[in-house]
Formats: sequence, structure tokens, C-alpha cells
Amino acid sequence: MLECRSCGAGAPVDEHFCPQCSRILALGRHGDYFAFLDLPRRLTIDAQDLERRFRDLSRKFHPDYYYNATPTERLASLERSSYLNDAYRALKNPVSRVEHLLAIEGLPPAKSEEGTAKVPPSLLEEVFALNEELDEIRELRESGTDPEPLRVRLEAARKPIDEKREEHERQLLELSARWDSQEQSPAAEKRVTLDALRERLLERNYINNLLATIEREVANLSAGSGQPASGSK
Amino acid sequence: MGKVVGIDLGTTNSLVAYVDNGVPAVMRDDSGDALVPSVVSVGEDGTIFVGREAQRRLLTSPTRTVYSVKRFMGRGIEDVRGEANLLPFRIGGETGGVVRLGIADREFTPPEISAFVLRELKHRAEEHFRQRGEFDFEVDRAVITVPAYFNDAQRTATRDAGRLAGLEVLRIINEPTAASLAYGLDKRNRGTIAVYDLGGGTFDISILKVEDGVFQVLATNGDTHLGGDDIDRLLVEQVIAGISSRGPTGSAPQPSPGASAPQLSPEAIQEIRKAVIQAKLDLSDVEEAEIRVEPSPGVPAGYRKRITRGDFERLIRPLVERTLDPCRQALADAGLEARDIDEAVLVGGSTRIPLVRRVVQELFAREPHSELNPDEVVALGAAVQADILLSGRREMLLLDVTPLSLGIETMGGVVSKIILRNSTIPASGREMFTSGVDNQTGVDIHVLQGERELAADCRSLAHLHLKGIPPMPAGLPRIEVGFQIDANGILSVAARELRTGIEQAIEVKPSYGLTDEEVERMLIESFEHAEADFEARLLIDARNEAESVIQATDKVLRRPDFAAIAAEQLEPGERERIDAALAAVKASMGSTDRGVIQDKTHALNHATQHLAEVTMNRSVREALAGRNVKDV
Repeated sequence: MLECRSCGAGAPVDEHFCPQCSRILALGRHGDYFAFLDLPRRLTIDAQDLERRFRDLSRKFHPDYYYNATPTERLASLERSSYLNDAYRALKNPVSRVEHLLAIEGLPPAKSEEGTAKVPPSLLEEVFALNEELDEIRELRESGTDPEPLRVRLEAARKPIDEKREEHERQLLELSARWDSQEQSPAAEKRVTLDALRERLLERNYINNLLATIEREVANLSAGSGQPASGSK
Repeated sequence: MGKVVGIDLGTTNSLVAYVDNGVPAVMRDDSGDALVPSVVSVGEDGTIFVGREAQRRLLTSPTRTVYSVKRFMGRGIEDVRGEANLLPFRIGGETGGVVRLGIADREFTPPEISAFVLRELKHRAEEHFRQRGEFDFEVDRAVITVPAYFNDAQRTATRDAGRLAGLEVLRIINEPTAASLAYGLDKRNRGTIAVYDLGGGTFDISILKVEDGVFQVLATNGDTHLGGDDIDRLLVEQVIAGISSRGPTGSAPQPSPGASAPQLSPEAIQEIRKAVIQAKLDLSDVEEAEIRVEPSPGVPAGYRKRITRGDFERLIRPLVERTLDPCRQALADAGLEARDIDEAVLVGGSTRIPLVRRVVQELFAREPHSELNPDEVVALGAAVQADILLSGRREMLLLDVTPLSLGIETMGGVVSKIILRNSTIPASGREMFTSGVDNQTGVDIHVLQGERELAADCRSLAHLHLKGIPPMPAGLPRIEVGFQIDANGILSVAARELRTGIEQAIEVKPSYGLTDEEVERMLIESFEHAEADFEARLLIDARNEAESVIQATDKVLRRPDFAAIAAEQLEPGERERIDAALAAVKASMGSTDRGVIQDKTHALNHATQHLAEVTMNRSVREALAGRNVKDV
């Protein structure tokens, strides 16, 4: 329940304008981007529909239209516009959309440190192999070996990780579709899907970190190749 | 309530525009000139000159004349030291504080100088409304444009300048976005647009998506220190090198790369600057131009050198190519490729340079638009936005972005980002803080803007000091700090201790800006100077009046049928009396005594009264000739 700061009437939390005086409502502690945009909690979103909702609400909230309004309404317009911009940004991107769903369904954030500290069990094998290979490549690079074969080795090391990532993208899509079909399902079943989504996101963060590490190593090779030692070859 | 106008406060020139019956138009002076040079000069008696008058004084009183002040807005002395050597005015200020510009015994901050330009524009607009016979001609509010890539300090400095000029700044909008509004008025109503804005001092690229009248900026990038000024400086340096290498006599060219630059006077440098700007402008139309510095005390031998467009392009290519990386970055941030762009739009005087046009055309693989005057299009857009604000009409809406990420300094000097760059504004973010020791009542927060990881590499915006935290054991207070970037791209901060609900007081020390107290003090000072400024205003009005009478007289004297008129209808000696009066007005123009100018103008008006009547009758007769009596 929200209280209209213009007329004092009560309003449902997902209303944007006061049902009684039709002034723009202060935002309060809103937390659900789907509800804010009047969308069901589904992971498949029609991008054009989302954009249209964003434009329509922008036209209703934007501070440009509240220049002559009361300070209360101006503040509400600023808050609602900012929140709308956040909501649109979060829901537009599929990954942040899942993150937001997990948050409003009460799961701990998938971005937490555990994502980088602990190796997800399903990735143990790949991570072990990659780290070994990276150590060797670093050692060789520092001893001034010709960078070209090292570059080839890095590319090879990257391949299984890339494949893992593609597999993950598929799994995320499948899980998203499953979630969308479970609207009427028991809470326990839905929870299994959410947990699986969260697991995939953690792994995904981990995979992205691995890819970034490889990229850095590639950059190190390129930086090294400009030096006279390898340039003389 | 007075009028609301749109203002383009440019590095080189500024303009004011207004929407009249749905059509935006720039406001011109009596001679049809829309541009007010962003130049401010302080006379020996303290009189302030602005615009063309100040521009003329660049050659005669360069050390008392400030130009390109926009480059110093919201900046610190350490940012601008590199370019100070060629500028005729003194640049000072404490390290880590705002730049101060010294003229004679007075010191000005950049917002104060900009405020003089804004006052001139305000006056121009008011004069326009007054002449139209409007009862309420006061202009008290404005939409002012800034480069899209301006940071918080630069935007705040611009808003301060508005306040100092007696204008409530309703909105700060980004120049490329303003331009797209002006173009959007009568163009296709959907598509993806790239606005390439290379002005006198700044470069912006903005990528917009236009649909249903909503102009949504997807990404923006730029360089607030790249523009026509830099091109001018390259040319000036080349000319100085040329003058120094030919030795003191001015003959016998002796290339001597080791020779130190000669000590040229500020006057000489301004003569050179004027000459290279003329050559630069010429080269946009012709293949070869001449840099021509007339002999003067500073450059006794003068200087002449032919320059081809090819030479010019070789010289400036590195500068022009510096615009490409921001373009690519903006495209990447928008998630687009160059070929996804439906229209490219050119804005800013420097886009008249053929090389710039070619570079843009190559990048986007399409002919860029430049139908609207690139000097005027930004002011027109600002006027459109002013009209939207005033009318509350919702057909058009601008959704802009913040150009730089906002963050705070955390442990080890690392920046933690709170609002990411290219977030649609208004945007908000929050961060939790707590205390480190028992009963701590204050917390310091360093706010920065930029993309780099370390605080030292980002732009410091302000140091916040949270006060009055209720005494509690360490780690117990939960202070939520809310950061709000408004539709102007300007930051405000609020903090609350969540356990007690107590709103925290925040002390803000801007790193490169003025405190509210400083702005207040400057406002008071400006009222104290108001009388002198008013006198200066009257002097300029007198000169303008004289100028228009001179022009009108010259025009009649140049008429093809003037000889006939003189022979048939002028009295003996009348021509001589007119010539003498005309010469007297021209001679009085340099005077700072407004009474003298007005007297001479009055005398010329008197001397030409008979001539004016005669020519008017003649014109009427000619117009009626050939018609028959029934039509009359």
C-alpha cells in the first residue's frame, strides 16, 4: 500500500498515479521490475513490447512534464523515471533479467564472491587443465620464447571453455522456457528451476572470468612481441 | 513569468533561439547576425565588452580579453596548463581547485566569464521581444546546451553561469541531442541516428533511436578538449615556427629547428590567430588559401604563406582521426555496427571542413546530413526543448544518458561503480556504508566520474562528509547513500541511517566547482558591477545604432541612380555635408563616450534627412510607375 503524498489517499503498490487525485505517486520501496512494467514474471520477453512500455511510461513520468508541478510531484516524477530506467535496463538484458527474477523470488544474488572463489563442480576438469596450460605458457613467455606458438596454444586452450559457454547458453534458454511454463506448478517445482538457473549463472560468471584470463594472456603476448628480443626475429 | 529561450553557449560563438508559433528561430541582431562571439573583454575603466566588440579588442587589448572560456569550465589548473602558453590572458588558481582567469587586477572564474556572454544573449532576446511590442519582454529562464561528454563539474559550472546571469536554468541538454530534436521536427519519425558534433572546443558523438517522437540516446562519447581551437593552434604554431626560422630581418629564410620560439607579443599571436582562422575558413571552399599576417609592431615584416587544402589536411588529419575512437566506442556501447545507422547528422562549425565530412561519410558509409546550419542547429533544438518544458506537450520526449560512470572510492583507491555510463537519465543508485570504529559519527565519501579502475585515474567530483551518525558500536550503523543523476546529468546525494531513519546531513566540497556560497557572493558582486555593466550596455547600443545609420547611408550613396539623384535633387553642398557627417560618425566609433557617438549619429541623421526623403519618394514613384490609377 502506498500513500498519495498529494491527497493522502491510499493506493495499491503497483499503481503509478493516485486513483483518487490522479497525481503521480511517490515510488515507495518498490522492488519488482516486472510488476512495475505490468508484465508477468516470465523470462521470455518480447523486446518490442518492452520498449513500447518503456516509452509509454517515460511519457507519463518524465520530469520534463512536471516543471510546473508541486515539489512532491516533481520528486515522484524523478524517482519513478529513475526506477523505470533501471527496470528497463535490467529486463532488456536476458542475464540481468534472470538475476532480477532470482532476487525477487528470494534467492541469494548469483554475483556473490562464491562465484569466483569456489570452482563449480561441473567445471573442475576444464579449470584444472586450463590452469596448468596457462602456467606453462606464462613461464615460456617470461623466458622469452617466440610468442607465435604460444598464441596457438592459447587458442587451443580456449576452445573447450568456449564450448562450455555455448552449452550454458542453451541450458539457460531451456531453463527459462521451463520457468515460463511453470506458472501453475507447485512452489517446490518452481524452486528447483530457480536453483538451477542460479547455478547456471554462477557457472556463467566463472566461465566469463576464465575467458577474461585467457584474453589477458593473449594481450600479454602481443605486448611482449613489440620488444626488441622477439622483434629481431 | 517571463520568457523562456534556448541557448547554445559555445566555445567560439553563442546563440539564442525561441519557438514562435511552433517554429524555432534564432534571434539575430539588427545586421542579421545570429552569432555572438563567446569573447569577453575588460576595458581599462572596468567596462565589460562582450561579443563582436570584445572580439575586435582581441587585436588591440589581448591581455584583457578572454576567449574559448568553455574549455575551462569545471576544470582545474592542472588540466589546462599545457595550452596556457598561447593564450593572452593569465591563467591561475590553486592546484586541485577551479581555474581562475586574470585580467588586469581582476580575477574571474570561468562561470563568471560565461555569465557575461549569457547576459548578452539574454539582452538580445529581451530586445527582440521588446521591439516586437511585447509588454512582458523579460527573459528569466533558459534551456542551455552543453557537450554530451561534459562531466558533472562542467555541467554544474554551466548552470552556475546561468544563475550568475540572472537566468533560471530549466534544463541543461546535450548539444548533439538538441541538434537531433531540431532535425527531428520535420524528418522521418523513426530510425537510428548518429550525431557527429565537432565544434570550436569539443567533440561529441551520440547514437540515438527515434521512435514515436521519443528521442532515446543509446550511447554517447566524445572528447571535451578537441575542436576547431586545436586546429587553429596547430596552424598558429606552424606560423610562429615559420616566422622564427626566417630570422630577425624577415628576409632570408633560415630553417633552424633548434632556434627557440621568438617572444611574440600577445597582440602578434592574436594577429596570427586571426589570419590562420581566415585561411582555415577559406580552405573549406577553395583548394588553396593564403595565411596573411599584416605587418604590425608585433610582426614588423608581416607574414604570408600559401597553403593548399592538401597541406592543411595532412596537418589536421591526426586531430580529425582522434574523433574515430569515440565513434567506435559509442557504436559498441549502443550494441550497433556502423552500417546499422540510418542517418548521420553533422553539427558544429568544424564539420564544414571537407576532410571531416569525408571521414564521417567513410565511417558510416553514407552521406551525412547538413541541411540545417551547423552553427544554429543546437540553439534551435534548445528552443524546441524549452517549448516542450513550457507547454507540457508530450509529442516529443528526449531521453538522454549520462556520459560517464559514477562511482565512489573504496579500499585501496579502487573505484566502485554505482551508475554506469550510458545509463538513461534520470538515474539513481545507492550504496550502504557503516562505521569502522565505535561511536563514529562521520563518514567521508569520495565521489568520482570515469571509466578507469583506480580513483587516481578518474575525475574527482566531490568529497562528501556524512555527519551526525547516531553513536553505535562499529559496523552497526546502516547508512544508505542515494545518488541521483537528474535529467540535466547533474548529481545530487542524500543519505539516511536506516536503523534510526535519521536523514544525514551531507557536506559537499566540489573538487572543481563553486560552492553555493561562492555563487551567492558572485551574484552580489555582479549586482555591484551592474551599474558599470549597464553603462557598457548603453555604449554598445549607441555603437550599434551608429553602425546601422552608417550602413543605411552607405547603401544610398552606392545606389546606381545616386548620381542622377544628386544632380537633380540635392542642394549645392549637401553631398559634402553628408560626407563630413558620415566621416565624423565613423571617427567617433572608437570613443568610449556614448554621448559623442550619439551626437555624431544624430548629426548624420539630420544631414541625410532630405536625401532620405528624396530617395524614398523616388522609390515609391518607381514602384507605382507602370500601374494604372485604378490599382492605386
